[in-house]
Amino acid sequence: MSVFEPFEAFGDVDEIADRLRDPDPSVRRLAAIELGETASPEAVPLLAAAIADPAPEVRRQAARALADFDGIEAARALASGLQDPDAETAAAAAESLAELKDPEAAPALLPLVDHADAFVRAGALRGLKALRSPAAFAPAAAALRDPAPEARVQAVGVIGYLKLSEALPSLIGAARDEAAEVREAAINALAFTRHPSAAEAVAAALDDPDWRVRAAAAESLGRIGVGDAAAALVGALRDGFWQVRQKALVSLGKLRQRSAAQAILPLLDEELPLLRKEAAAALGEIGDAGAISALERRADDPDPDVRKTARWALTRLGG
Amino acid sequence: MDEIKDGLAEVACDVLVIGGGTAGPMAAYKAKVRNPKSRVILLEKANVRRSGAISMGMDGLNNAVIPGYATPEQYVKEITIANDGIVDQAPVLKYARNCYGIIEELDRFGIRFQKTENGDFDVKKVHHLGAYVLPMPNGDTVKKALYRQLRREQILISNRYMATRLLTSRDGHVAGAIAVNARTAEFLVVRAKTVILCMGAAGRLGLPQSGYLYGTYENATNSGDGYAMAYHAGAKLANLECYQINPLIKDYNGPACAYVAGPFGAYTTNAEGSRFIECDYWSGQMMQEFYNELQSGKGPVFLKLDHLHDETVTEIETILHKVERPSRGRFHEGRGTNYREKMVEMHISEIGFCSGHSASGVFVDDLARTTVPGLYAAGDMANVPHNYMLGAFTNGAVAGEDAADVASGIDLPEFDMAEVEAERERVLAPTRREDGVPPNQLEYKTRRLVNDYLQPPKVTAKMRLGQLRLEEVRDDLDTNMMVRDAHELMRSLEAASILDCADMAAAASLYREESRWGLYHNRVDFPDKNDADWFCHTLLSKKDGRMVAEKRAIEPYLVQIEEHERSAYDRQRILKQA
Amino acid sequence: MPLASSPTTVPVVVDEAKCIAEKGCTVCVDVCPLDVLRISEETGKAYMKYDECWYCMPCETDCPTGAVSVNIPYLLR
Ligand SMILES: Cc1cc2nc3c(=O)[nH]c(=O)nc-3n(C[C@H](O)[C@H](O)[C@H](O)COP(=O)(O)OP(=O)(O)OC[C@H]3O[C@@H](n4cnc5c(N)ncnc54)[C@H](O)[C@@H]3O)c2cc1C
Ligand code: SF4
Ligand code: SF4
Repeated sequence: MSVFEPFEAFGDVDEIADRLRDPDPSVRRLAAIELGETASPEAVPLLAAAIADPAPEVRRQAARALADFDGIEAARALASGLQDPDAETAAAAAESLAELKDPEAAPALLPLVDHADAFVRAGALRGLKALRSPAAFAPAAAALRDPAPEARVQAVGVIGYLKLSEALPSLIGAARDEAAEVREAAINALAFTRHPSAAEAVAAALDDPDWRVRAAAAESLGRIGVGDAAAALVGALRDGFWQVRQKALVSLGKLRQRSAAQAILPLLDEELPLLRKEAAAALGEIGDAGAISALERRADDPDPDVRKTARWALTRLGG
Repeated sequence: MDEIKDGLAEVACDVLVIGGGTAGPMAAYKAKVRNPKSRVILLEKANVRRSGAISMGMDGLNNAVIPGYATPEQYVKEITIANDGIVDQAPVLKYARNCYGIIEELDRFGIRFQKTENGDFDVKKVHHLGAYVLPMPNGDTVKKALYRQLRREQILISNRYMATRLLTSRDGHVAGAIAVNARTAEFLVVRAKTVILCMGAAGRLGLPQSGYLYGTYENATNSGDGYAMAYHAGAKLANLECYQINPLIKDYNGPACAYVAGPFGAYTTNAEGSRFIECDYWSGQMMQEFYNELQSGKGPVFLKLDHLHDETVTEIETILHKVERPSRGRFHEGRGTNYREKMVEMHISEIGFCSGHSASGVFVDDLARTTVPGLYAAGDMANVPHNYMLGAFTNGAVAGEDAADVASGIDLPEFDMAEVEAERERVLAPTRREDGVPPNQLEYKTRRLVNDYLQPPKVTAKMRLGQLRLEEVRDDLDTNMMVRDAHELMRSLEAASILDCADMAAAASLYREESRWGLYHNRVDFPDKNDADWFCHTLLSKKDGRMVAEKRAIEPYLVQIEEHERSAYDRQRILKQA
Repeated sequence: MPLASSPTTVPVVVDEAKCIAEKGCTVCVDVCPLDVLRISEETGKAYMKYDECWYCMPCETDCPTGAVSVNIPYLLR
């Protein structure tokens, strides 16, 4: 009868380290994979060395393996990987940086926010986001003027995650950025506060030339939950994009804006059933009895979701 | 690799977790953290790195109960109604209360949930009744993050061992399990003080319409071994007639993902482009509507995305083609289906047992304890209805902690070596035949019979005939099955589990003489719901070598369902005839 | 009853020029939930031994050299 070991080996870091010195890059690459799987802190310095390996495939693998670790040492290694001339290694390092959680890692990334390469700047900012380190605020605010929009988007994220009231002016500025994706991010990031200046900036974005920014604004207004957003949202009910009208309906329902009820009624006749349903739901939330007869017409809508929502709204309105 | 070796080893531990998919890793982790001195073994038929339903991640948490969005009580109400009232609410309430803490913990593990620009969970509402989804657009790293935690806690992992039977002591306490190596056929006896079964759904029960044995909705590794093992150990299994059936992309057998595409504005329609689903809950009732539409002149059924903006479709595609069932994109490509131009044809899946999506599972209480002392079950195979991925994690955690506590207070139970010997004989019998039927043919036949005779609409006379035919297959399996290597040996053991599940599906379906849960238990000769006689669980178990069925009362509700809430749901019920 | 060997196409293809199994890699074989991949004794490269695939893709995603491609099994293509 054979003798066998039924458990996965825990991986002997020293033994794997030997293979990291093998002349064959494929062997070194496989060693890097195994080091990651040990999940042992002792593997980090070895992976930090491997991320400087002459062979790009080894560096790539080390950059991926470092995703299994947290802390300053791993962050330093990944920061160097982020600057790798091999695009795949740099991309892998950026992905792994986004896994960091421990704020201790911030000092490894902060200097890179001014790096000459936009990819490095954006990657460093992306890594900083989840660390929520207050030290990142000033550099991120400066990065809102970065020439590269992808870096500006990440800078908005860093600031948004911190939820600091002193960040409002920067985010409001970013809501007027020339790049639509930056404006969209800023509009989303402003949703954490009930400050009137935030609501105002978000409401202004309902006139944005880009439909996705307008949709984000309509949604954010519902989250911000400041009542006088209603007038702006009512305007958005006439937006040319149904996606924006839909978000505006949801937000008006959430805010229970009685004054908006009349403006919502025409949307019960939208062609897309999704919007008829949202309109009925919003009227149900608002609870204005003036909507009863219009909702009654929708109680037999050909679309089941619309009729169910209309009936639900009617019970709420006492109709 | 794959040649059959003669080997037998014995190891012992405090807590044995079988199945390292979703619930299992969490159970093992929690058991170890609860009692760091304890020895915890995680046994897995595949490899924990990429095993289970969440092998490539999931699109999102389907049933997140997050403070500020939904309350535990609301959730319990919904699940009770969606499950036609046949629910013990205590485990559901416990899940609802614990699951947010688990989300936060998973987030700390490095599992990536969608966040807003403020770093908060980006919860999406599915419909006005309060179903909430938390997307995981980069969820393909879920298993990596779990594996990392297991390594950090130094949990003993045995990959490629297929558990085949549980061991019990003379007084009926669980004593461990027997497993077979999937590549060498060597035997491993794991003695344990407590055992947690996390072996997923019985996903290879019905045959997919494509005829491909592994083209199942569920991860095809989940062949119902957990159900079979629980049964043979004397545990009770609840409501197995409440099958799992899911809407799918036709032929691809992956979800059509209304949950992902829904929040973006996509929806399910008939061939006329009209919505037809009346039911508010993901339930057998909804599946009945789906089935009826497929059978009607308005079928087939489609997922409609062609009204969405190009950029939105691209966003949906990046999620759907990366996570969960990432080969979906390749399937569409092969057929020239572009979401922007064509609606996607949908269908319904083969039948299976699963509590993750339905309510068919091993009976457990709110500590995940089965009816066998020391034996626990969590995830898809434990009957906490509709608990999905987050339920697997949350209830796995509950099981892990309680099993660690119980184990710390008892000695290693004794077991009977004769049981091991008998199991070795059963397992190895097909290797000793020179000639016979290979497991794939036995499996194909069993599953084809399941489709022909046990799939709803269920007809009494047909199910009885089905039982007779399945008995013939069992005869072949017992006396005539033949395997040539260790890999085939694993398949032969799976074929046996599948056959056990088919027998249970027939027995449970015949026992409940009413219709309930929409399509799941649509019994043509008992077309009505009959609360007077059948407002209860049905339990199957093995007594003196025979399969017996019994009723069990529903525990008094902790969250009351108002009469008007229930009747509103009942009014949605439709005639079963298509 | 005697056995026949019936042909079947398998969905997973390995690019042998890229595969580094001979250097000790077994990643795809390790991660496959259905355990259907093996390293060939003849070529020293990975290949699909059994036509029992869930087209789930860990083999392709985790292969360090990008050698694996998963196709949809013919019966459901
Ligand atoms: C395609 C698909 C899409 C889904 N989408 C979602 C979604 O978007 N959101 C959501 O919340 N839920 C979703 N679910 C449901 C969710 O994934 C499951 O409910 C959950 O993952 C089940 O966890 P589990 O631990 O019970 O089973 P699994 O994760 O499947 O684990 C079972 C494990 O047991 C092992 N095993 C089986 N037999 C044996 C044996 N004999 N010996 C040893 N080990 C064995 C298997 O290899 C496997 O690793 C989806 C499920 C599927 C299949
Ligand atoms: S993972 Fe890739 S390189 Fe490794 S054995 Fe498989 S095909 Fe070859
Ligand atoms: S697609 Fe999945 S089942 Fe098929 S070979 Fe790859 S890992 Fe295995």
